[in-house]
Amino acid sequence: MTLPAGFAHVLLALGMPVLMVGLVNRTKAMWAGRKGPPLMQLGWDLLRLMRKRPVLSGVATPLFRTGAWVVLAASMLAAMIAPNLGRFAPLEFNHDFVFFAYTLALARIFLMLSAMDVGSAFEAMGAAREASFTAFVEPALFLLVGTAGVVTGHASFAGLIGHLHQAESFRWLAPALIVVLFILLQAEASRVPVDDPSTHLELTMIHEVMILDHSGPELAAMQYAAALKMTIYAGLVAALLNPFDPLAAPLACVLFSACAMAGVAVVVGCTESLVARLRMRLVPRYLMLASALAALCLAGAGWLTRP
Amino acid sequence: MTALNAAVFVLLLGAAVCLLPMRNAVHAGVGILSQLMAVALVWAAAIPILAGGAPVVGELAWAYPVGTLKVRLDALGAFFLVWSLPMTMLGGIYAVGYLRPYFKSTRHVGLHYALLNLTSLSFVLVYTADHALIFLLGWETAALAAWLLVIWDYTNQKVRFAGFNYLVSTHIGLIFLVAAFMILYTHSGSWDLGSFGQWLRNNAGAERNLVFLLLIASFGLKSAFFPFHSWLPRAHAAAPAHVSALMSGVIHKAGLYALVRFVFLIGKPDEWMGWFLIGFSALSALIGALYTVGQRDLKRLLGYSSTENVGIAGIGFGVGCLGLSWGNASLVAIGFAGGLLHVLNHAFFKCQLFYAAGAVYQATHTVDMEKLGGLSRLMPWTSLSFILGGVAIAAMPPLNGFTSEFVIYSGLFTSAPIGVWAKVAFCATGALLAFVGAVSALSITRAFGVVFLGTPRDRSVARPTEVSRWMLAPMGVHGIGVVALGVIPVLGFKLVQGPASIALRTLPGPAGDVLQPIATTLTWIGMVSGGLVLLIEVLIWLRSRVASPTASSHVTWGCGYGAPNSRMQYTGSSFSSDFSARFRGVMVMLRRQKLPTGYFPAESYLITDCVDAVERRLFSVIGHGDASASDLSKRLHEDDPRVAFAAALIGIVVIAGVLMLVSGPLR
Repeated sequence: MTLPAGFAHVLLALGMPVLMVGLVNRTKAMWAGRKGPPLMQLGWDLLRLMRKRPVLSGVATPLFRTGAWVVLAASMLAAMIAPNLGRFAPLEFNHDFVFFAYTLALARIFLMLSAMDVGSAFEAMGAAREASFTAFVEPALFLLVGTAGVVTGHASFAGLIGHLHQAESFRWLAPALIVVLFILLQAEASRVPVDDPSTHLELTMIHEVMILDHSGPELAAMQYAAALKMTIYAGLVAALLNPFDPLAAPLACVLFSACAMAGVAVVVGCTESLVARLRMRLVPRYLMLASALAALCLAGAGWLTRP
Repeated sequence: MTALNAAVFVLLLGAAVCLLPMRNAVHAGVGILSQLMAVALVWAAAIPILAGGAPVVGELAWAYPVGTLKVRLDALGAFFLVWSLPMTMLGGIYAVGYLRPYFKSTRHVGLHYALLNLTSLSFVLVYTADHALIFLLGWETAALAAWLLVIWDYTNQKVRFAGFNYLVSTHIGLIFLVAAFMILYTHSGSWDLGSFGQWLRNNAGAERNLVFLLLIASFGLKSAFFPFHSWLPRAHAAAPAHVSALMSGVIHKAGLYALVRFVFLIGKPDEWMGWFLIGFSALSALIGALYTVGQRDLKRLLGYSSTENVGIAGIGFGVGCLGLSWGNASLVAIGFAGGLLHVLNHAFFKCQLFYAAGAVYQATHTVDMEKLGGLSRLMPWTSLSFILGGVAIAAMPPLNGFTSEFVIYSGLFTSAPIGVWAKVAFCATGALLAFVGAVSALSITRAFGVVFLGTPRDRSVARPTEVSRWMLAPMGVHGIGVVALGVIPVLGFKLVQGPASIALRTLPGPAGDVLQPIATTLTWIGMVSGGLVLLIEVLIWLRSRVASPTASSHVTWGCGYGAPNSRMQYTGSSFSSDFSARFRGVMVMLRRQKLPTGYFPAESYLITDCVDAVERRLFSVIGHGDASASDLSKRLHEDDPRVAFAAALIGIVVIAGVLMLVSGPLR
């Protein structure tokens, strides 16, 4: 039964990003009273970009073009470890969440390096912001995993997240953990209120400013990777809530997962429409909120499971 | 034993020949050749031991004051020996390229090579010592040789000061070590490390705790744990690049070796020792990482990252230590294997980074980041070496830094049956380690991005060309090691298996096969890392098939600004200012500035510098002790009841703490 589940996971992980972005944009359009772009617009955009001949900066080194593909490859690999079906992932081994976190960090390093490669002050500014802001969220994921570890005693990412809802303390921990994951999503996938993906203003940009000089297939890779990251975290939220066993009830499990991820996309869209993006100085505080909340969850989990 | 004796003899002979009046090129040749022979001899002795053979023991009769000198090489010593000597030899090869300008001058390069030989000799002494005197002899040889190597450029006052600073620090460490040895000698009546161990195992209590703390202080100074690190960035910035590399990557690993050796000798440490080690190391990792963010001197940055990395290895040892005191075999294996693996990996990537930084220095005559830029086009191999080492030091897959951190993480997020609060504390340490990882990713992106990418920032800096093959070859060897240990991590694990099983043997019960799960996980890591590389290749290949292979070139988009120039690029300080502004207490930023005034401003500048907070505060207390005291009292109003209340509260806490220490955990 693992093969169909693995197939479903890959399909969900690689197919959902396009739909997720579409859903977010549609939700935003509805709040703004517009009709909005088609749901699959990102897919068409990516195809269009793939056919274009790129324009490269004269300063860029080979690292610039390689960087985009490293970012994409690393994000894809991370998506294979993140259990979006609950207690199953195609790549599953003990303590694989460390690999997950560091693969995403590798993607981030190459994103920043290819931004700095063209020697533009704007792009380096984006890289600096990305680097310093993500440092504040990095502990959150580990604290979250640690919480799940204290409660469930499993060792792999899928085991930890997928078995959490069986624990007694789940109803205390779940809301907080979902908030943590949601903030992680906003930080990693550069959504409002951390970052605004739709503006092009130096004062506000993080992710968009880093890919200013990318064009053609490389831009497509970067945009798809960003959408993929959003899907990964939405998938984690879905996994946290998913009551079905992917190997026993695969269809229900996949359906639930897809619906939950779509739901997360709608929530992201609503947040983006209703909340203004934060001032740059306040962003680290907002991100530290995730770590603080996760630390609270860890302490709470310790207290709830104490002998 | 004969092989080791022969190695010592070859090294001494090589050093002696190096001092003879000859051409400098011959000096270098003799030095490297003797090192090569010593490597072969040491490998002949050490590799069988690592493969599972019996330890090599030897005795040397000596007259009255010290008795028989005992030598013993077991798996732990063999593990350290097996890479220390070859790396020193690579440093010698690098030196041929680095010191080339001096070869034709009247400088005696032979002395330098003789000192490198003595460094190798000190490794043989320290890692095989079973007698306190041999241990101290090796320890001192390493310290003095390193000091003399650091002050190569002795005409420079700053270099002399850095060397002196190092000399003083390392001897303060020696005082602690000698004090600990004196206590141990008084109790055991022997200079043998074995009898030290016997006493330590059987006499838990205040005195053992004192010895432990003295040893930690000494080894902490040697390996530059925070807050004993302040000599390190200074010395590393002043020394020639290969000396910095060897000091940071190889020589100061002796401190970690000694730490592990004495933890093994204790056998069953108290629980507080493990927690202390974890806390102390975590603090080092955190502060070391934070310091790397602010530096503008590339070699200082790398120096601080040593403090970070010994901290990470120390967390592993702390986990292992707790495993020993709880009698938990899997934690023992994971902790010591992970820590030692990190030591090995750090030696690989740190030397590589220092070599690359040295290449930058040789080509441009500066390591000030704010003046450099765009080197990757001009020095492609150096730049490749730096990025490999950088990705490895930030512990990213698929390179070797990740594998050892992974093992340490797997100890911190263990599913072994330990207390809930211990688990919570472990997870919190894991989260801290994640923060450290993110910070080091920041600082390495900053270093590589500012120095190697973009365009040159300062016209006064020479336009560099790629350095000589003598310097590139050691970088290449280290680069191969970094990649190989990352993609096939089981290679490194094979080396640390022996030392880890020494620790397992000190456990009372049968340990079971706890090393196998680690090897399995590491195999997974290797496969997935390999898969990542493959995936990148496939994507790039697909791109070349599907999309347009050609690209048109244009200038970097300046966001509408018409006259951009290279001075407008982000500098290192601007890159880190967002982050460092939040850690002002730790990262003390000095600025000297002359801001532009008037309609047609003339000269203006802004220079920022991140200085060492520990050193600065220390000096300010020493230099202006009374002033800082009265400063403090001025800020506190005596008649403020809150101050009196707080003082009383602190007093009570301190007294209670002292009482608890005397009657509680320390007894």
